[in-house]
Amino acid sequence: MHFTKTQIAIAFAMAIFFGCGNPSPESEAPKSSEPTESAASSTEKPTFAFVTNNASNFWAIAKKGLDKAEEDFDIIVDFQQPPTGTIADQRRIIENLLNKGIDGISVSPIDAENQSDFLKEVADQVPLLCHDSDAPQSGRLAYVGTNNFKAGVEAGKLIKEVLPEGGQIMLFVGLLDAQNAQDRKAGIEKELEGSGIEILDTRTDGVDTAKARANAEDAMVSNPDLDCLVGLWSYNGPALADAVKGSNKVGDIDIVCFDEDGSTLQAIQDGIIHGTVVQQPYQMGYQSMALLKKIHDEGAEKAVPEGGVIDTGVQIVRKDNVEQFWADLKKLTGED
Amino acid sequence: MGKLIGIACILALLCIGLAIQEPKFFQERNILNLSRQIGFLGIYAMGAGIVIITGGIDLSVGSLMGLIGVLLAMSLTEWGLAVPAAVLFCLVVAALLGWTHGFLITKARLQPFVVTLCGLLIYRGAARYIAEDSTRGFGSGFTTFKKLANGHIGPIPYSLILMFAIALGLIFLIHFSVYGRHLFAVGGNEQAARFSGVPVNRVKTIAYILAALLTCVAGILIALYTNAIQPASHGQFYELYAIAAAVLGGCSLRGGEGTVIGVILGATLIQILWNAVTLLGIESYLEYAVIGGVILISAIADEVLRTRFRRVG
Repeated sequence: MHFTKTQIAIAFAMAIFFGCGNPSPESEAPKSSEPTESAASSTEKPTFAFVTNNASNFWAIAKKGLDKAEEDFDIIVDFQQPPTGTIADQRRIIENLLNKGIDGISVSPIDAENQSDFLKEVADQVPLLCHDSDAPQSGRLAYVGTNNFKAGVEAGKLIKEVLPEGGQIMLFVGLLDAQNAQDRKAGIEKELEGSGIEILDTRTDGVDTAKARANAEDAMVSNPDLDCLVGLWSYNGPALADAVKGSNKVGDIDIVCFDEDGSTLQAIQDGIIHGTVVQQPYQMGYQSMALLKKIHDEGAEKAVPEGGVIDTGVQIVRKDNVEQFWADLKKLTGED
Repeated sequence: MGKLIGIACILALLCIGLAIQEPKFFQERNILNLSRQIGFLGIYAMGAGIVIITGGIDLSVGSLMGLIGVLLAMSLTEWGLAVPAAVLFCLVVAALLGWTHGFLITKARLQPFVVTLCGLLIYRGAARYIAEDSTRGFGSGFTTFKKLANGHIGPIPYSLILMFAIALGLIFLIHFSVYGRHLFAVGGNEQAARFSGVPVNRVKTIAYILAALLTCVAGILIALYTNAIQPASHGQFYELYAIAAAVLGGCSLRGGEGTVIGVILGATLIQILWNAVTLLGIESYLEYAVIGGVILISAIADEVLRTRFRRVG
């Protein structure tokens, strides 16, 4: 009997600790405002949700765009990142958000094709946008993000810059079933057609950074003639740079990658990475919220641009412009 | 002994097969990469092994690693701690969490599975909360500290040397000390051990503290190796690799059985499998299936070899 009490006490303590340790949508109140204030004003301010496809630094930049949008448009943004980057996780988060009650949502679908049915249900309930990765079959009102095929083509051009005579390359990515990974790969393949550059393989790491680096290390051993490594997701660039540096192959093997992870920019400065194709996550955050607000105020028909796509564009960063780019980025994210 | 012979045979067969199929396997660079990974897994798998010997289980390994990675990166880059202080801080946190596991299991009589499963969830949440869900890293500084994970003497990485140093200590502790004898007694028959005056609670609590400390050491190395800690996914599933290594290495999930050397052999087998999948160019999608299949075959072969050994011996 004595232990039952202890057990109950511990169970209680755990429940409380658990509640604050694992941020659930309910506990993820906007940090900028006081809880009482937000509860009072939530009836007036529209709440929009921004759901990412995983938790990486890329989204930290988008978060800055969301923060700016919160100020500019007088809205509340609920920012959610699926911890494991799985469809199940993302679905649970979106369902929780709908239960909670939101006025609109912008999602980066993990698997556009297979999530379309679920996203249709979402679109029936609230205005739905896609950002970063598009799901055109889902009934989303608009897509705000990079044209990933075009981004892949740009990466292909960077690869051609380092391999004008042709050569062998390998691609590295977290999961190949994400639409953005497929589009980028297709863009690269299209650009490299007839260039004498051969894509030997595409290795996936299941969003495990240690695995990403080990994959690259193993690939360099098994293919000694590799000329260039290509990282498709934001953490792949730094992982490839570490692998090449650790294998003493800097100068022998070039790297082309995507996104603007701080370590990627550092490696460009150090001459380990040739160049990176940078998306505009800040714009994805800001513009998706701007559009949701517009839809909320004026209705979808008036607000959504023709074609339903807002291309946030890409930027190419090489050694010659990395310093300027990094300075601008730091200003944008408020690091300086 | 039989268990060790089984896994050693399988390892040898695998290495011979790989050498024939893919001579690059024995290249110095590959041996270096591979043994670095073995060092990482070996260290935390030994922790899992100790807990399994008590008849318990530790499911919190991966999440604890994520938490340690976040704490290490943030204490160095944001809270301004010096390297030794940051390492000490991580070790203290891990030891306290390990002690909490032990306390809840021995004093509150909760099942190890439940306690460490809660740990798995809580530490992951805590890591994400502390890091505000954004990737933490060490930037391009701390080059000397990073050598711990990336550096090597000849073809031998520091992580492997560290693993062997820890293994030596643990071999003494587990196979040649009073604590070790108590550990096996508790795992073999807790009731009997209690009646013969073994301090069961203390023995178990120490086992969980040791496991958390070893996870912490490996977690620090892996954080330095990746140089980027994604709080939501860093170390995910690593508890399962640790348990697989320990079980392959002859630790019985019923408790009371296992050796340090066996766990190291198990860790080696698992890492060679990961390495082989890439070297042989097996499709990424098949990785888990291939590894799961080989582990299953190893477990079956091990069982067969062991009964054969017993009959002959």
